[in-house]
Amino acid sequence: MRFRFARMMPLAVVLVLALTACTGGPTEPNWSDISLLDGNILLTFSTTMLQLDPVDGSQVNLYDANGNVRTDPNTNTARRWEITASGGSSPTRFYTTPLSIADNLLLAASYDRRLIEIEQDAARIIDINGTAIPGHMVADLLLDGDVIYVPLAEKDLLALTADGYSQLWRFETTRGVWATPLLLDGVLYVTSMDHHMYAVDAATGEELWQLDLGGAIASTPLLYDGSLYVGNFARKLFEISLDGAIIAEYDTADWVWGTPVIADDILYAADLVGNVYALDISDSGFRELWRRQIAARAIRPSPVIYGDRLIVASRDHYVYWLNRETGEIIIRHDVRGEVLSEMLMIEPSETLVIGEPLLLVGTMSRENLLFAFQADGNSEPRWKYPR
Amino acid sequence: MDIILNLFVTLLTFLYRVFGHDMVLSIAVFTILVRLLTLPLTIQQQRSTRAMQKLQPELKKLQEKYKNDREKLAQEQMAMYREYGINPLGGCLPLLIQFPIFIALYSAINMALAATPTQMLDTGGRLLIPGLDSVVPLNNMWLGMDLTQPPNMTTIGTSITSFIPIVLIILVGATTWLQFKVTMPKQQPTANADGKPDQAQAMTQSMSTIMPIMYMFFTLSFSVGLSIYFIVSNLVGIVQFSLINRMKLKDAVNADAGGTSLMTVEGKTPKVRPVSEAAKKNAGVASPKGPSGRTVTGKSAPKAKAK
Repeated sequence: MRFRFARMMPLAVVLVLALTACTGGPTEPNWSDISLLDGNILLTFSTTMLQLDPVDGSQVNLYDANGNVRTDPNTNTARRWEITASGGSSPTRFYTTPLSIADNLLLAASYDRRLIEIEQDAARIIDINGTAIPGHMVADLLLDGDVIYVPLAEKDLLALTADGYSQLWRFETTRGVWATPLLLDGVLYVTSMDHHMYAVDAATGEELWQLDLGGAIASTPLLYDGSLYVGNFARKLFEISLDGAIIAEYDTADWVWGTPVIADDILYAADLVGNVYALDISDSGFRELWRRQIAARAIRPSPVIYGDRLIVASRDHYVYWLNRETGEIIIRHDVRGEVLSEMLMIEPSETLVIGEPLLLVGTMSRENLLFAFQADGNSEPRWKYPR
Repeated sequence: MDIILNLFVTLLTFLYRVFGHDMVLSIAVFTILVRLLTLPLTIQQQRSTRAMQKLQPELKKLQEKYKNDREKLAQEQMAMYREYGINPLGGCLPLLIQFPIFIALYSAINMALAATPTQMLDTGGRLLIPGLDSVVPLNNMWLGMDLTQPPNMTTIGTSITSFIPIVLIILVGATTWLQFKVTMPKQQPTANADGKPDQAQAMTQSMSTIMPIMYMFFTLSFSVGLSIYFIVSNLVGIVQFSLINRMKLKDAVNADAGGTSLMTVEGKTPKVRPVSEAAKKNAGVASPKGPSGRTVTGKSAPKAKAK
């Protein structure tokens, strides 16, 4: 019997490690990103990008210059607008939405340190090896004129030319930049995991001021009525003046990841243990109107405001529609997957042909990647992808 | 599992703060604490291994006697284990119990270091001590290596520090081998009745080769932080086993009149049930009452005190 156990031991070790998915690098899935591109929904997840029709969630076809649907010569079926990034020197993953930098040209930031150009009309990656970037990327790129700002996950913010991607300047932080900077009147407001908010001259990359907030910051600050609002991992919400002084702060129960939202002088924010906060900011400081434990798990994305309702989504698989005034849950929907992506509210317009406002909610589940809800949440999802 | 994980993430982060944001030192101290915590299991495992080894000559006799009757052999073996209060799984169970700890440790290192947003999200809510959030994110760079990533072998030769991954792998292999050597009791080469080498010894020998290679392979695949855990854990293990061996833990098979027995080795009270006559006869083990019968060590028989 001892022999058997001795023989089985290495096998058991390997088996246990395999079962627990012990691998070296970060293999956990990244969350999806939802945006609009030419009247369609652009869904980016893992190594894939695809376009969906906002009306029914069907995949958008690829068209040629004459407006005819392109067909796959092998299968004689319609080709879809879909890109799967495979090949290259290392695995490609997209944490972010690609940037439309020129006519028929998208620029995608791969987590694995590459900027990849995509020919939009043909849904084709021009060069999978792309342009090397000195760091991982988990935040959306920011385009302003002919400059692209690239936040790096390890540390620093880069400014590159939109044509050729040559470096203009590099602003140094001591830890990563996990959120897209806010650009306002030629000043970039950069939040960093090194606990600081920086104001940086967008043209030169020079630091104008820095402010230690005592905890990591993973979200873009919100500008409202001449102040910046941001939450951090030190369990605090801050109001900060544009010249870098803390005006007010408020203690939360846990980390605040998503950017707060504000309507009618009321700020709404959520934390990573499922609490939602409503704070009156009409006078100086934060005045708590209500705080409620809404979800059983973390609320990562920013809340969304729709009329008199506040919408939050959680890792507990639910999307909640709350009464903005009281914080009571009006309705909730099970989306059968953790919600970590930012939600997107889309409304009918000239380019967006939909009959009603829709709330798009992405999940971590491959079987339930995207849901479209009626904005008030009063009915079952209009559609989901994949169907 | 979450409870262990939260504790580990909190402890690791706490140590990080205490030791001036030095992650490697924190992992080292953390590993030492975990090894101390699991010391009773380690001692139990060592005792079982030694006791089982001492019983081998008698077990071998049983095997020879019942080589054509496996069922009877199993019965007699179990009778012998019962008699001496040995749990044949005693050497493996402590190891198995340590697996969840090992897995939690692996996850804790990855979570505490949190290289990606998804990992960071998993860290949120796990810090049980207020104020620890202020040290997040933890510094995951050490000697030019990312502690959350496997060692980068593609840059070897480009600088002096680029050879550190190789040193790391060698250290993991060497300390694993050394720990294995210290753990395994010394055995004289023996052969079976048919002249073939003893299977257990051959297996032990091959394990001492396989394990270091396996762990070296792990080092290539797992994060550098975990490799540091391997090295420190092995070093602590070497010290622990050396001390255990030096202290000559109460081993019933080794002990004679000191009141120790296999039963006490296993932490059990002596059995009062009469020894199976068949087992005694077949194994050649002296009756507890016997004045000078053969014993499993050639010394005294296990004592049936309650009798």
